[in-house]
Amino acid sequence: MALASVLYGERAGFPNPSERSFGFGYGLNQAELGFGSTAGDGLNFAVKASLSTDNQDGPEKKIEFLHGTTTLAFKFQHGVIVAVDSRATAGSYIASQTVKKVIEINPYLLGTMAGGAADCSFWERLLARQCRVYELRNKERISVAAASKLLANMVYQYKGMGLSMGTMVCGWDKKGPGLYYVDSEGQRVCGDQFAVGSGSMYAYGVLDSGLRPDLTVEEACDLGRRAIYQATYRDAYSGGTVNLYHVHSEGWSRVSQEDVLSLHHQYQEESA
Amino acid sequence: MHWPVCQGVIMYLAVVRLSCLWVAEIRLVEFRPAINLENKKERKKLLLPVPGRHIAVRQRVCFRLYTPGFFPWSSLTLDRMLSAQMWGEQGRMKEYHYTGPVEHRFSPYSFNGGTVLAVAGEDFAIVASDTRLSEGYSIHSRDSPKCYKLTDTTVIGCSGFHGDCLTLTKIIDARLKMYKHSNNKTMTSRAIAAMLSTVLYGRRFFPYYVYNIIGGLDEEGRGAVYSFDPVGSYQRDTYKAGGSASAMLQPLLDNQIGFKNMENVQHLPLSQEKAVQLVKDVFISAAERDVYTGDALKLCIITKEGIKEETVPLRKD
Amino acid sequence: MEYLIGIQGPDFVLVAADNIAASSIIQMKHDYDKMFKLSEKILLLCVGEAGDTVQFAEYIQKNVQLYKMRNGYELSPAAAANFTRKNLADYLRSRTPYHVNLLLAGFDDADGPGLYYIDHLSALAKAPFAAHGYGAFLTLSILDRYYKPDLNQEEAVELLKKCVEELNKRFILNLPSFTVRLIDKEGIHDLDRLPLAK
Repeated sequence: MALASVLYGERAGFPNPSERSFGFGYGLNQAELGFGSTAGDGLNFAVKASLSTDNQDGPEKKIEFLHGTTTLAFKFQHGVIVAVDSRATAGSYIASQTVKKVIEINPYLLGTMAGGAADCSFWERLLARQCRVYELRNKERISVAAASKLLANMVYQYKGMGLSMGTMVCGWDKKGPGLYYVDSEGQRVCGDQFAVGSGSMYAYGVLDSGLRPDLTVEEACDLGRRAIYQATYRDAYSGGTVNLYHVHSEGWSRVSQEDVLSLHHQYQEESA
Repeated sequence: MHWPVCQGVIMYLAVVRLSCLWVAEIRLVEFRPAINLENKKERKKLLLPVPGRHIAVRQRVCFRLYTPGFFPWSSLTLDRMLSAQMWGEQGRMKEYHYTGPVEHRFSPYSFNGGTVLAVAGEDFAIVASDTRLSEGYSIHSRDSPKCYKLTDTTVIGCSGFHGDCLTLTKIIDARLKMYKHSNNKTMTSRAIAAMLSTVLYGRRFFPYYVYNIIGGLDEEGRGAVYSFDPVGSYQRDTYKAGGSASAMLQPLLDNQIGFKNMENVQHLPLSQEKAVQLVKDVFISAAERDVYTGDALKLCIITKEGIKEETVPLRKD
Repeated sequence: MEYLIGIQGPDFVLVAADNIAASSIIQMKHDYDKMFKLSEKILLLCVGEAGDTVQFAEYIQKNVQLYKMRNGYELSPAAAANFTRKNLADYLRSRTPYHVNLLLAGFDDADGPGLYYIDHLSALAKAPFAAHGYGAFLTLSILDRYYKPDLNQEEAVELLKKCVEELNKRFILNLPSFTVRLIDKEGIHDLDRLPLAK
């Protein structure tokens, strides 16, 4: 099969890790190699250098600050609320305002996307497959704890090679609502509320101050929406629309998708 | 905190003979001292006449060592600190001070410019690209279109590093043939997009430096556009620009096709004639302002009747 | 940022660890347990790089448990500490070293209590008391000053409280609570969290 041999290299998975010096920090951020660095530098002696990945190899590369996103999820008495923004940035350029940052793993598991878009969507797609295989083998749904551990173990193998992913795995299993934070460092922690991304600090502020044990579903949705809205207001790398999901005993359901601009007008009217 | 950064001012160029074996070319590539630009005296020292436009923080000196048996790409760059902070690309702050020498390795990447654009309509899709192939200051070719026909209903536009564009399109073609042989049907646009995503992610740690946009018809015959980043993140859009002039085209399309942030406008469905005219117009505008876009515009109009190609001349300067 | 401490008495070991799981500047979790139960009478306390800690500690934990299944008897604290150190040392010279700092505390029916200090460069030391993290700078002197080899359980808890009070007084970062456990000939006992609610 001549064709197959052409494709062999494509299927062999990842090349030798020793080539990892070419790996970039962030998926969507790679646009900075192109337009940004070439157009700006008037003279090309330095441009060659900045076109190569050397800049990324420097001390800067080690900073794993998940940026360009605000995502949050929290548990309350009726399940889990997941709220995310929808902006993707390549440097200072807004590459998209319509990114789906909630990844629907299966009808009762959700993942969120912060960091490299490709990293998140690829590994959570793989997780979806693993979860399905688990279901077929064991004749029962995978628990949120097990699913998040599968993901953490998968990405831990690539630690230090430049993956960038901060995700929250949310779902409902026998133990009730489940919420885990998993990142590309291999960290995996269970918790009641998390916010991830460059706007996470702002979201935490609103979330922590508004969280009560007796929230109704509607109040919880409003809180999640408001926390993301406030984060998009302060964080330049977050914006677009607010996507909201509710995870309950029957799995997840999509609550709303609202443009930040219309939310802004709505909140302005309410406060006036 | 954001500082404007003055880009690449050559201040000094000299060749120094160190010994009979070592010749060092010392080149001050960027001069970015931290000075108080409010102060006229200090500003004069820098020979910068315009206030407020240049401020910066880094001085970079390139040493290129010429020795017998020397490799042309192993030039050394010494980053020397002048002030407390260093700024990386995009004005992001580097976490700590690195003052040692940095070796610049041979890079297997280049940027060849070019812009691609795809627009989806009710029953058609348009993929368009310019035909210029350039690198740095030079224009290598004026007839190198970046649209590649994949199937009767799918066209892909690739810009970025031309070598990777060629490799990638050949791999996609091969994969399409394999699929055809084993399944006796051609891949849909949606399937091609999903496949391309995995092909791109397969090289996550040594990526194809290509910005891809797929345009085609979906299973129901409606126009579909899928846009990708170099490592395989993708989503379906109705219109998307990629490549060197993407930041110029996209806002125009947001306004003309997306009707973004406009009140009291009728959201008319995009007709094929209007779409074609719009694509031509935005490329003419891009050629006016982007050095890497020009020469000619190639349009591929995909309908259920097939793919119609059209070429429109652009500025050649 | 993180803090581990162990104090050995004549017939017990007292250990404590903070409860913070952090990511960059954010405390993500306030009730995180950094102790891993290796066997009925051995605890492994683990801090260090995110991800590495859990992966390494669970790897050791599972292998110590496997040893018991295969051989029918458990590793002694000394054996478990040397096993841990050997693994850490082997990984140190590999492409993927684990950046973890450990305390291993246990009780052996023959040898009595044991406390072992292991750092990320796989140095191993048996110690009457030990601490890891920035907090160790503040508290080792307290332990040096007040530690007695024959202290009883109450005195050990008091000494631990002294250390925690010092952290709350001088340490810049907020470590609001500590898990405290005690190992003696009966096994592992959970004690009240520190600082006690007033």
